[in-house]
Amino acid sequence: MNWQDALTAMAPEHLLVAAIVVLIGLDILSRPTRGRLAVAIVAVTAACAAALLLALTGYASAPFPGQYSVAPIGSLGKAIVLVLAIPVLLMAEDESSQRAFPVLLLSSLYGACLLLSADSFLTLFLGLELLSLPVYPLVLLAFRRPESAEAALKYLVLGGTATATLLMGVALLYGGSGSLELATFANALGSKDTMPGVAVVLVLVAFFLKAAIVPFHAWAPDAYEGAAIPVTAYMATIVKAAVLLTAVRLFGMAPVTRPLSDLLAILPLVSIVWGNLAAMRQQSFRRMIAYSSIAHAGYLFYALLGAGPGRFQAVAFYVLAYGLMNVLAFASLPPDANDVARDRMDHLKGMFQRQPFAALMIGVAMLSLAGIPPFPGFVAKFLIFKNVMAAGYTVYAVAGLVGSYLGIYFYLRVIQYLFMSPGERSVGHVAPERLAIFASVICLLAALLLTVFPGWVIDQF
Amino acid sequence: MGDAGLLNVVLYLPVAGVVALIALPPKADARVRSISFAVMLLQFVLTAWLYARFDAGSAGLQFETRLPWIASWGVYYQIGLDGYNVLLVLLTAFLGPLVVAGAFSAIQKDVKLFYCMVFALQFAMLGTFLAQDLFLFYLFWETMLIPLFFIIGIWGGERRIYATFKFVLYTAFGSILMLAAVIYLVYSLNATTGVTSFAFADLYRSELPLSVQTWLLAAFALSFAIKVPIVPLHTWLPDAHVEAPTAGSVILAGVLLKMGTYGFMKLAFPLFPDATRLLAPVFQTLAVVSILYGACLALVQTDIKKIIAYSSISHLGYVMLGLVSLDIIGIQGAVLQMVSHGLVAGGLFLMVGMIYERCHTRDLAAYGGLAKLLPLYSVFFALLTLASIGLPTTSGFAGEFLVLLGAFRAAWPQYVQGAGYPLLLSASAVAGVVLGALYMLWFAQRFLFGAVKAPHQPFFDLNLREKAILGAIVLAVFALGLYPEEPLSKTELAAKQYQQLVAGNRTGTRVAAQPAPLPSAALAADKAEDAR
Repeated sequence: MNWQDALTAMAPEHLLVAAIVVLIGLDILSRPTRGRLAVAIVAVTAACAAALLLALTGYASAPFPGQYSVAPIGSLGKAIVLVLAIPVLLMAEDESSQRAFPVLLLSSLYGACLLLSADSFLTLFLGLELLSLPVYPLVLLAFRRPESAEAALKYLVLGGTATATLLMGVALLYGGSGSLELATFANALGSKDTMPGVAVVLVLVAFFLKAAIVPFHAWAPDAYEGAAIPVTAYMATIVKAAVLLTAVRLFGMAPVTRPLSDLLAILPLVSIVWGNLAAMRQQSFRRMIAYSSIAHAGYLFYALLGAGPGRFQAVAFYVLAYGLMNVLAFASLPPDANDVARDRMDHLKGMFQRQPFAALMIGVAMLSLAGIPPFPGFVAKFLIFKNVMAAGYTVYAVAGLVGSYLGIYFYLRVIQYLFMSPGERSVGHVAPERLAIFASVICLLAALLLTVFPGWVIDQF
Repeated sequence: MGDAGLLNVVLYLPVAGVVALIALPPKADARVRSISFAVMLLQFVLTAWLYARFDAGSAGLQFETRLPWIASWGVYYQIGLDGYNVLLVLLTAFLGPLVVAGAFSAIQKDVKLFYCMVFALQFAMLGTFLAQDLFLFYLFWETMLIPLFFIIGIWGGERRIYATFKFVLYTAFGSILMLAAVIYLVYSLNATTGVTSFAFADLYRSELPLSVQTWLLAAFALSFAIKVPIVPLHTWLPDAHVEAPTAGSVILAGVLLKMGTYGFMKLAFPLFPDATRLLAPVFQTLAVVSILYGACLALVQTDIKKIIAYSSISHLGYVMLGLVSLDIIGIQGAVLQMVSHGLVAGGLFLMVGMIYERCHTRDLAAYGGLAKLLPLYSVFFALLTLASIGLPTTSGFAGEFLVLLGAFRAAWPQYVQGAGYPLLLSASAVAGVVLGALYMLWFAQRFLFGAVKAPHQPFFDLNLREKAILGAIVLAVFALGLYPEEPLSKTELAAKQYQQLVAGNRTGTRVAAQPAPLPSAALAADKAEDAR
């Protein structure tokens, strides 16, 4: 192992760890809480820049051979995850008054970075746990409400199930091949034997659980609703992005064949349809986004049906477009003294009259999530279905598109509330926080870039 | 700046308009209105200049811009004018300032947002017409939904929410299947020729088996038929028209419905010619059913807006009949009918809006004898009614007559060979002309003549702004009716190309004079080769 290599290759991770150390130091010295958020934001921005630099310079090395390696694609994945974390942190001014918040968030991001460089199931497991464990207490942090304890517990139990399933799958893979390398999974994909087959299914189920694919989705609406808004945004975007990008890494270039491809198409298809249908009935914005994110997880897993080389491109562009728009919606949601009331659908009514900027931003986010052009969600969806169609799954692609049509209604319903319904509430304005507005503007500008130059962005992946 | 640059300016002027409006301070409604009007007027002037410079003798794309956009998928930013879209672009730009001016007094709520949405819609409509790349076309096509969703949903009538959701969900359903077909089409092209391209010119050369063509045509046709609308898929139209504010109705009738017929002419039929010839009787039947059924429904309405809405279904049936006839006269008639209907129905909806602003009801029974109360209004109304019926010297006559002539010319040889069905259909379509005269004249009789009654009288006749708007429309209606040769000369080569693409050599005897090597397609294909 070359120390210089380890230092350069893991630069994003090192920056995150450094920030965690500084934050803990600040806590011990019990300074006022103001600087904490700034430290976290600077660290994440620096880590993001480092990852981007590594990706653009084409840096590749393996400081810990067989366990951890850095390649441009992985670095790019890290950059996407980290860039989404910046606006999430910006909107978390309230939450950051709790000492644990920035530390937990950075630890979770560290896990995400580790995942995207993992070469063996050992590192993958470490990364996955590091990604999810801090999220349980993050959900709990909104303990002003009794629901958050319930939500955190549900999330913990189902997260534990996912871990157990993954470990069983990995154990079977190890039993069959005697190796913990990630490549054993891709090899098992092509195998016709029972043991590797069962192993693949178990690993896949673990990923379905983490990404909330029907029928493994029940935790998501409760957890999303129970958590504070920035944590919901974190779960809906960054956790999902990290899990899906890891799935792409796991699948590698291996083609998906018959019995498995049906599993990989049908469950996401059911997710798309069920997520979109269930979202129509929700009265809470966060819960609605939870169901919408279940549907979006479906589109994302569809991408794995496509041919190997296009998978990363499709997933990366999709999580970027989807993540930016989700964060935009949450960042624009006007603050409210009452956290539960903040996102009742009824309270969105007539918002354009009260806060036009917020209403327009949420409207843009909804249209993009619905996949209506010219917003980036459309190009992202097009890219995925194009790959699925090119791989020959015409029926699944058409079914998926029709499923996505079902989603249009509830996204437009939000717009109806924002612009077309008379406002029912005459609550005094709570002025939106400046940092949250800044976060919205960042997301909007990034989305504009994706809208006008999608070709350029896609070519980077 | 070259003419190609000018065409881009025309396309992006509405976007500049949106930016200008956003920059204005909140309570400047008067300035919002004047700036919107100025931008639209400038757009029309520039479009008219381009129209004048459009060379009728060249079949290919003119004023073309072609830049790589999503290069790795073969998607290009490619826009240009050709015989297919030149008249429709001019129509869109012509109606723009009239729509804006027509809404000056009607829209008092969220004025800035309203004009932003009108600009967005104008941008999307022009983009749809100008796009020469299927991806770009689809992008603009879907984008059109959003501003209209807002326009109907915010400024519409009582049942606006229901109407706007119905409109969007109806249209989006067609679009989503078209999207699947678009992707499939491009990948079949890739599989057979090795070229990944969304350019229309390349897609015209794809040779697909008949079964595939039929499926893809079904998907495209569903989407376009909903927009037209063709009869079993028309139920969104009356709701959308009735609930939309005047500006929304005018854009809807004036331009948006033509998107459907334009889509058939530019894409669905030429891309899948074998399937089109196979299904031609189906399309002909649906077209004639639309003509007759739309007219019958218009006959029994009591809501003024609904009469005109249903008459649109009938009039667009003629366009479809002309397009499917594959006869050069019928095709040209269809093109003319598209423009004519845009002017006439747009004008009628504006007039309904004007009376609604004065009396706040659209119930026909509440009116009578307006000719005595509002003489000037009645003159304009009568003129537009006659144009709608298709009186000679108006644009409606030229369009409908040519369509019917074309339909008969195509049906007669088939009749001679023993297939009487097309002739029967063409003959039934003529009945539509009679029905059209019946419902419009009956409407005008009850509306303008008879015992004088109107809610809220006395009220004022047309003001200067309204006179100017209607004057412009009536002028255009007569210009098109008296000199149809000039616009038709610009679309003639495109009509021949369309006929050639769809009919193959079926009617070769008649078009033998122009073997039509499709210079545009060949040129663009060469460029695509170079680019790779």
